[in-house]
Amino acid sequence: MIETRDTDILIIGAGGAGLFAALHAHDAAPELSVSVAVKGLLGKCGCTRMVQGGYNVALAPEDSRERHFMDTIVGGKWLPRQDLAWRLIEGAIERIHELENELGCFFDRNPDGSLHQKAFAGQSFDRTVHKGDLTGIEIVNRLAEQVWARPIQRLEEHRALALIPAVGESAIAGALFVDIRTGEFLLLRAKAVLLAAGGGPTMYRYHTPSGDKACDGMAMALRLGLPLRDMEMVQFHPTGLLAGPETRMTGTVLEEGLRGAGGYLLNGDGRRFMFDYHEHGERATRDVVSRALYAEMRAGRTTPNGGAYIEMAHLGPEQVTRQFKGMVKRCADCGFDLAGGRVEVVPTAHYMMGGVEFELDTSTEVMGLFVAGEDAGGVHGANRLGGNGVANSTVFGGFAGEAMAEFVAGETTHREPDRAALDRAVAAAEHPLSAKPGDLHGLRERLEQLMWDRVGIIRDRHGLTAAAAELDQMTSELQQTGLGHQARAFNLAWHDWLNLDSQLLLSRAITRAALARENSRGAHFREDHPDEGDLTASQFTSLRLDGEERLDLAMKEVEFSIVAPGQSLIEGEAAAPPGKAAR
Amino acid sequence: MTRDGDDLRVRVWRGGTDGAFQDFRVPHRPDQTVLDVVTWIQRHLAPGLAYRFACRVGMCGSCAMTVNGRPRWTCRSHVADVANGGRLDIEPLANLPIIRDLVADLTPFFEKWQGARGRFVPSAGRGDPTAAIAPSEPRRRQADLAVECINCAVCYAACDVVAWNGDYLGPAALNRAWVAFNDRRDGAPEELLRAVAGDAGCHGCHSQQSCSRHCPNELDPSRSIAGLKRAGLPAWLRGGDGL
Repeated sequence: MIETRDTDILIIGAGGAGLFAALHAHDAAPELSVSVAVKGLLGKCGCTRMVQGGYNVALAPEDSRERHFMDTIVGGKWLPRQDLAWRLIEGAIERIHELENELGCFFDRNPDGSLHQKAFAGQSFDRTVHKGDLTGIEIVNRLAEQVWARPIQRLEEHRALALIPAVGESAIAGALFVDIRTGEFLLLRAKAVLLAAGGGPTMYRYHTPSGDKACDGMAMALRLGLPLRDMEMVQFHPTGLLAGPETRMTGTVLEEGLRGAGGYLLNGDGRRFMFDYHEHGERATRDVVSRALYAEMRAGRTTPNGGAYIEMAHLGPEQVTRQFKGMVKRCADCGFDLAGGRVEVVPTAHYMMGGVEFELDTSTEVMGLFVAGEDAGGVHGANRLGGNGVANSTVFGGFAGEAMAEFVAGETTHREPDRAALDRAVAAAEHPLSAKPGDLHGLRERLEQLMWDRVGIIRDRHGLTAAAAELDQMTSELQQTGLGHQARAFNLAWHDWLNLDSQLLLSRAITRAALARENSRGAHFREDHPDEGDLTASQFTSLRLDGEERLDLAMKEVEFSIVAPGQSLIEGEAAAPPGKAAR
Repeated sequence: MTRDGDDLRVRVWRGGTDGAFQDFRVPHRPDQTVLDVVTWIQRHLAPGLAYRFACRVGMCGSCAMTVNGRPRWTCRSHVADVANGGRLDIEPLANLPIIRDLVADLTPFFEKWQGARGRFVPSAGRGDPTAAIAPSEPRRRQADLAVECINCAVCYAACDVVAWNGDYLGPAALNRAWVAFNDRRDGAPEELLRAVAGDAGCHGCHSQQSCSRHCPNELDPSRSIAGLKRAGLPAWLRGGDGL
């Protein structure tokens, strides 16, 4: 018999979206019971905490919502859902004031005491609010303190396994968890559920996200039958640390500012190569630099570990140490001299622009289920601007909290969980405990290599088709790969298996969507279809999982509800550095 | 120091408080952190080994453990810097309950964070402009010196007073209170001083400075605590409400 508990509002995830939702739900309706379940420790896992860059918000008198909006739409290659993007931009203005005035975040200031806003790639105005290069820590620390202080139920080290529908209707009844510490299952029934588990493209050989990330949220959404859009859009950061195999250091981000400040990228022959690819050299946008670096790697001009070098020494090692103290120290701790030497780098999978389709109030097509943060899709389109990620999770997370409080006010009882769905979810999670032991670690490495080679930075039909077949094969292999270790309490091998299960499903989704998009936009580059296609006839991919675990794909028209390609809401060029834009 | 190619001899704590060390041999690599060693053991030798990590780069503080007797972030501790003759002893953080193996229960640490009123109390709302505070303001400079804490609990595990006095709030919580005290936007500084007064608070500190020696972020909680002691003094002299 599975332990069952009830709560009014259940929040899955405790990053920027989940924590904001908890605060807003509690503050809107203090009489409701609010529970936050998180795979790690509250406030200490996930990706919001890892935000280095900052928070985009139109505050300055010379800036405008329209300008931030146009940067987002043009940067997203006309694929964002425009009403969602507009809501992000409006919401960010209130949210940054809330973070500062009510939660106690203190962002960097100008000498006169006003908020400092820095330049970030792909934007026509310097609008990124930040706390040094550790903005996420400031935001999540202050948010977590406020959640701890309130009567909000915390379920730490609770892994969500499945969203459980209600019997006989398209509505949510709760979610099934495993308490990682004890290995016991828990069914938490709730009148409203927020999916805010975060994304994280950790199925690539090189990746940036926190180690707990495995796309669990999107996998649960697919299995509930929800549509996911823009799944082919995986953002790669050009400069991940490359420190060899079997170290968790590999893939972690060396920040964007190093290139912005004048750092060089050198290939294995020690030659600067970026100007071979783009007039802006190392200062080109993330997608351009990632593709160029990957092209050098394919041509075999690599460093000993198979990447490129970043070099800062020509700027003066003392100056580099002053300006990038945290990065220099991190590299030194790991055995590398960033200020005076060369450090090996490689493009690294960073963020999933795609996710669950949702409405302005964060609701989904399943009644009572809401979504926010990286699990949600449609705000960023084909590319996310640096600084729009944490804005997205905090803005929509807060809206979700309010929407759920309002929704629950009209709900008298908990819905009855679909027992058959619950039984299936339990059986699926228990399967590896009894299956014959196999090489789980090897299977994960094969997946990471396959995604990197075939579904990564440069794609084509041949490679994607081969990858789709191999992913199907790996999916059945996983089912035949059990664990040698039976104890359930804090059994990390079990969680590695469950992670791989989510990663494989999302790998299939990415591959399916990448095959369908026969043009090149933003993060998605098809070598066999290198042009961007007709912007005015833009379509987005929308995927569902059917009853036989097959992915159905539809191409849907992008609605230009605010502005159409060829039009603009601002003077001058959007999504280009301010120098080029008319003010 | 170890040579490349030699195996590391690693002893890892297994079980709870009454557990014991288990011996492992792990291939040594040139680029290898203590977290990589733990990961390798779990992947190849002991699938049931319990440990905790998240960000991999010193931003979350989930992976702190005791390494050769000293609390550290394992993700940012290079084996070459910490192994002693090719030996590593890895245990959970001290001064906290053990959940299992290398996993400590951080609940008391975060309860004390709240106990020190380790959170902001607002004096303005989202409809107000942000406070005009110049980075050069003396109190802001005090706050900035102490604010970059990632609550990894390394200082808490290193603190002698915490070991002796289970009620002591500890260096991280008091350091957080010092940041809040120096934030002139905070709406309840008197309440904050009350929370950190007394022997469980800042006056419990014996200025051994173990916290400051061990902080991976090079913060100085000992200094913050001294600041709280000074700040509380005038109110105590006034008689007030017994701060």
